[in-house]
Amino acid sequence: MIQARILPWLIGVLTAVLIYLVFFVVPPAQGLGDYVRIAFFHIPMAWVSVLAFLMSAWWGARYLRRQEMEADRLSAASAKLGLVFVVLATLSGAIFSKLTWGAYWNWDPRQTTIFVLLLIYGAYLTLRAAMPEPRRRARVTAVYALFSFLTVPFLVFIIPRLYFSLHPSPVINGSGSLDMDPVMLGTLLAGLIDATLLYVWLVWRSVGRGDKEALS
Amino acid sequence: MQQSIWRGIKLVFCKELTIGMRFKAAWAAMFMFALTTLACVSMAMQGGAVEPRLLAALLWVSLFFAAMAGADRVFADEDTAGTLLTLHIFGPAQAVLLGKMLYTLFLLVLLALFITPLFLVLMDVAVAAPLVLLGTVLLGCFGIAAAGTLIAALTTGASVHSGLFSILMLPIILPVFLPAISLTAGAFGGGAVTVSYLGGMALYDFILLVGASILFDYLWYED
Repeated sequence: MIQARILPWLIGVLTAVLIYLVFFVVPPAQGLGDYVRIAFFHIPMAWVSVLAFLMSAWWGARYLRRQEMEADRLSAASAKLGLVFVVLATLSGAIFSKLTWGAYWNWDPRQTTIFVLLLIYGAYLTLRAAMPEPRRRARVTAVYALFSFLTVPFLVFIIPRLYFSLHPSPVINGSGSLDMDPVMLGTLLAGLIDATLLYVWLVWRSVGRGDKEALS
Repeated sequence: MQQSIWRGIKLVFCKELTIGMRFKAAWAAMFMFALTTLACVSMAMQGGAVEPRLLAALLWVSLFFAAMAGADRVFADEDTAGTLLTLHIFGPAQAVLLGKMLYTLFLLVLLALFITPLFLVLMDVAVAAPLVLLGTVLLGCFGIAAAGTLIAALTTGASVHSGLFSILMLPIILPVFLPAISLTAGAFGGGAVTVSYLGGMALYDFILLVGASILFDYLWYED
């Protein structure tokens, strides 16, 4: 209960600090200039998109093992939030792409990966909407969340290596070393923590509201 | 026990084949859908020169959507006819899944044997690497059958059927679809053939098979 009150304040303060860091402290990046500032919002959104997918599959597995409807509600809440974050990550990525490569979309491997994630979230939520019986819906969508999770190793690790990409290297590159200015790295970490806390709080709120609706 | 599973798979496969041959509507719909799509593509191109990559994409889009027109019925027909409950009572989960998967694979291979030569003739395509094309088509069919059988089981009981199967299938089958298009383009003479993609497709097909096998138990043995 205390955490429920503290968390929104913590997220608010962290977001304010993040905005200050991104627009007033982070220096322009070599080659990207001021466009790099988009990355401090885009990367955390993309991270939460993948995290929400992982958690949705995790709670799906938990439902299949224990048959707890709360696990199904958490899985659904995570997928709904994941869809919002993946849309935001896709839009911010497309804007970054237009500014740096000259086109909003060119099916770069990472654009393909994020788009497939968008399709999976869409498919999962469509399946939920198409299943009228709650127990059957919970079981079927849990199975789909886990089955679609099988694509992740291919989409995240293999597809980007099969095709040529203009996308900047990940923060931790292939050699395992960190290749980023310390101020930028600190700001990025703050962004990742902020987005993760926002996701946790929103899932929490969403499930709490669902419980109240179920009781009423 | 091992023998009874094999026997179960064979029985389910034979049952599906008998029903499929008795009620030919699903087969006819799938093959006519494939023919219509191919005719549309060929007429639209009017015999013009097309890049191997685009040809490969057109072949796989035709194959994928023709497969979607038939493979989704594998559990829904039983549900409509009221025989799914009988199968629940007498059929062990793995025998039902693998028997139906084998039947879907059989159907898809027939479909591919129908579409591919027709596509090559209508689009006037010369195949530079026939074995690569054959391997790619077989692995593609296996992947669609492995994922499609589980997805068909998921959509049973859905209030909306139209399009749901394709919506659920596409994201899962993309890791098969993308290398298949690259390999087919290579087989059509569009650049070098990366044979390791075939290994990647085979690995993903195997993962889909194992994943479907594990998860199907949760669907079959409900509370």
